[in-house]
Amino acid sequence: MSNIGWKDVLADEMSDDLAHEIDIFEGQMELMGQGKLDEKVFAETRLRRGVYGQRYDNGQRHDGFESRELDFEEKERIKGPDTLWHAPGMQRIKVPGGGLTADQLDVLAQVADEYSDGILHVTTRQDFQLHFVHIEDTPDMMRRLASVGITTREACGNSVRNVTCCHLAGVCQTEVFDATPYSEAYAQFLLGHDDVQDFGRKFKPAFSGCEAEACGLVMMHDMGYLAQIREVDGKPKRGFKVFVGGGLGTVPHQAKVLSEFTPEEEILPQTQAVARVFARLGEKRNRNRARIKFLVAKLGIEEFRRLVDEERKTLPHDDRWTAYLDTLPHYEEKPTRPPTFLNGQVHSSEFNQWLETNVYAQRQEGYSVVTVNLPLGDLTSQQTWELADIARKYVGDNVRTTVEQNIVLRWVSDSDLPSLYEELKAIGLGDPGAGTIVDITACPGTDTCKLGIASSRGLAGELRTRLTVKSASLPDAIKDLKIKISGCFNSCGQHHVSDIGFFGNSRRSGNFKMPHFQVILGGKWRDNAGSYGLAVGAVPSKTVPEVVDTITSRYVEERTKGETFQEWIGRIGKKEARNIIQPYMQLPAFEQQPEFFSDWGDPRVFSLGDIGIGECAGEVVSLFSMEISPAESEAFEAQIALDENDPARADDLAYSSMLKAARALVRTQFLDVGDSPDRIVQEFKSRFFDTELFFDQYAKGKFGQYLLDRHSNPNPNPDNDSAHRLIEEALLFIEATHACESRVGGNVLVEI
Amino acid sequence: MIAPHRLSVKFFFEELSIDVESFIPVFHRWIRENVVPNELLLDVADYKHIVDGPAILLVGLEADYVVDLTDAKPGLLYVRKRDAGSDLSDALGTTLSQALNGVKLTETDVELKGKLKLRTDAAMIVLLDRLNYPNSANGDGAAATAAQTQLSDDLAPLFGDDATVTRVDNDAREPLTFELHAPSAPDVDALLGQLGSVG
Repeated sequence: MSNIGWKDVLADEMSDDLAHEIDIFEGQMELMGQGKLDEKVFAETRLRRGVYGQRYDNGQRHDGFESRELDFEEKERIKGPDTLWHAPGMQRIKVPGGGLTADQLDVLAQVADEYSDGILHVTTRQDFQLHFVHIEDTPDMMRRLASVGITTREACGNSVRNVTCCHLAGVCQTEVFDATPYSEAYAQFLLGHDDVQDFGRKFKPAFSGCEAEACGLVMMHDMGYLAQIREVDGKPKRGFKVFVGGGLGTVPHQAKVLSEFTPEEEILPQTQAVARVFARLGEKRNRNRARIKFLVAKLGIEEFRRLVDEERKTLPHDDRWTAYLDTLPHYEEKPTRPPTFLNGQVHSSEFNQWLETNVYAQRQEGYSVVTVNLPLGDLTSQQTWELADIARKYVGDNVRTTVEQNIVLRWVSDSDLPSLYEELKAIGLGDPGAGTIVDITACPGTDTCKLGIASSRGLAGELRTRLTVKSASLPDAIKDLKIKISGCFNSCGQHHVSDIGFFGNSRRSGNFKMPHFQVILGGKWRDNAGSYGLAVGAVPSKTVPEVVDTITSRYVEERTKGETFQEWIGRIGKKEARNIIQPYMQLPAFEQQPEFFSDWGDPRVFSLGDIGIGECAGEVVSLFSMEISPAESEAFEAQIALDENDPARADDLAYSSMLKAARALVRTQFLDVGDSPDRIVQEFKSRFFDTELFFDQYAKGKFGQYLLDRHSNPNPNPDNDSAHRLIEEALLFIEATHACESRVGGNVLVEI
Repeated sequence: MIAPHRLSVKFFFEELSIDVESFIPVFHRWIRENVVPNELLLDVADYKHIVDGPAILLVGLEADYVVDLTDAKPGLLYVRKRDAGSDLSDALGTTLSQALNGVKLTETDVELKGKLKLRTDAAMIVLLDRLNYPNSANGDGAAATAAQTQLSDDLAPLFGDDATVTRVDNDAREPLTFELHAPSAPDVDALLGQLGSVG
């Protein structure tokens, strides 16, 4: 019994390719254990298998009082830079287009309870993530997943990540056509393709069927495909409007149009050409500038398009470009039950509430899509196999994950809705409110992510609880607002495209750090993530529920008839928006409100690592705190200037705000720096940039480079796009200045 | 018999007069004060938003401690994830010993004392290893039968001759699960004192 492993048991159930890939990975693990693989090479290798790091895997943990070493065995054994072999990590599991079968749900549930903590987490890119996984368990986990056709290949790393697709594709009321089979063919074609192995950074594609809905969110992706039909030679022809160079991250970019219409047979070769151009010309050394959005911005879309067109001409023919097109006429999803109707029966109020928010009428009469509202994107192993049984009973394999961290059951025959609701409720998955203000998106944040600054999930849980309690009495105007939360500036929670977004940061009050969230207002989810919100100010984490109440109350009071949240924010302007949150921006002293100095769901005194060094007791504010404040104000003024369609002034103010922040930092070491921009930048560079004191552990010198770039290469004719970008960079630079000062520790105090 | 990949034991609360959230600061303190012998504690995970699930987890390298509300049966679940022992008896001894230590720590914790009580007249034992201990649908798998016999033999000296181990008739996809019924309900200290006799 003991000599037989999953490899043997599942040998006939895995494809040869998947089985071989997993064997190779297992071999690489062995080599790494023997010290025969470079740590960076192995790190990228495991990332390309979805085997990711997790918080505390460097062997350090702050317990609220001090940073302590975790007593892992074999500390010399690592699985990448600063990543201990025995420290548990995260496993990301790719789900192309979010499509799942009931059998796959069963296996996902089983690997979750045997290899992780029994919780499956749906991500904002339709993946699953399991946490606290030991690396030794990953090959067998992969084999069990492979036995039902799931691969973790290229779920992380510098590769083509999960190909996302609208969860309503194929049943949507407003789509041009079903993008699903195209996204599936695309994912299959690019998986492990030679031309996608040499990227400087990750590459995220998305497919969409509707321009006006959120759908595939193509505007925020590295490449996006929007379904189009054109008349060619008198006949309707399928194709896609193709976007490139979008992305959220620290500095969000709206995608540019690469092609107004790419016929269906050209989608794959055109993408291959893009991949080659990106691999050849994309940044490789500085990973902070390595996403394709930076290449597109650097070259300009016209030049990028020209290069892609030239590359396309050189590609050797590949039958796979069009082979799948022959199968399209036969592509269909099969419902398990015939179409039926609810027929106006009287149901409970709770069912009706759920029906209103969680059920979408398909364009196929008699069928609906049911959204299973997962709190914070989580469900247990037990819930997962129970959900698999519900799927088998009502919809078969027509299950998908969503980018709002939920699961949908498609092709539900309408008369089944009441019984389906009761069965979902019985397994704790019958919550109403899908897609409404209570259905909050949050990245893992400080719960498990190595990059998390503040507790996005803790905050999301708190907001969800509070809003659910009063959901029945919420005004209609705010019921459908989107709240999205990221634990840091990296935007995994997609805060830029929500009505009310937050990303985690920190501020210092006295000798203590306080968890904060930057408030981002007015982003647009619809129109494929049509526009990004802008930061209006940072508030202490513990005030966020009140901030949400205040903002939404003002919106309800002041909105004109039919005015959307984005329109209202646009009308009042960011200055007034900042005024709304201003009362919450004050920083109490630790002695006044100690609860402000710990995060949601985490009683430890908040820290980014070590607690700030004690400078001096008493009512004092550091010189740095005094001088950084005008920099923040100026960055805000830059946003106002941009609102007023004055990009030149916005650019100038954003640059000035960076100078002020840099000056504040320089003056913690050198008081007589003066006001000359050249001198400030020179001192900043020599004291903080060249010495790497300013460097973020993960972003390295990226944020400092923003100032150096703007100082040495001012834009003579800034437009709205470039000014917007510079403002984002200025905000990040200021954040980094705060972080640097916290790390280094200022020692000049001013009495107030 | 081979040690299962993971082995868990859950003791049920007789009374629990506090919110599960109260365990969060307690578990953080346990990490800080390193209160569990022979285990490395890593983090606290908050899943109280999930209905009938593992509400609060104290995550460790070798094992997790879970305030578990699954099936509306609140209890302290101990999940041994690695280094349990070379065979099933060893693994059971390690798991039971550490689980009972967790029970004692919980009941006597300075913040929890008097607010909860765990029962020792019943427990749930789960073999999280579908490879070596498959939960065959008809309930008559050889490995399951052998495991039941082994568990009974090992647990009787501890929990009394009237203790019984019965297999839970759960779904075949779920892990192999047993219920321990121990009318004698020996106290925790007595159990910890006797644990050397297991295996």
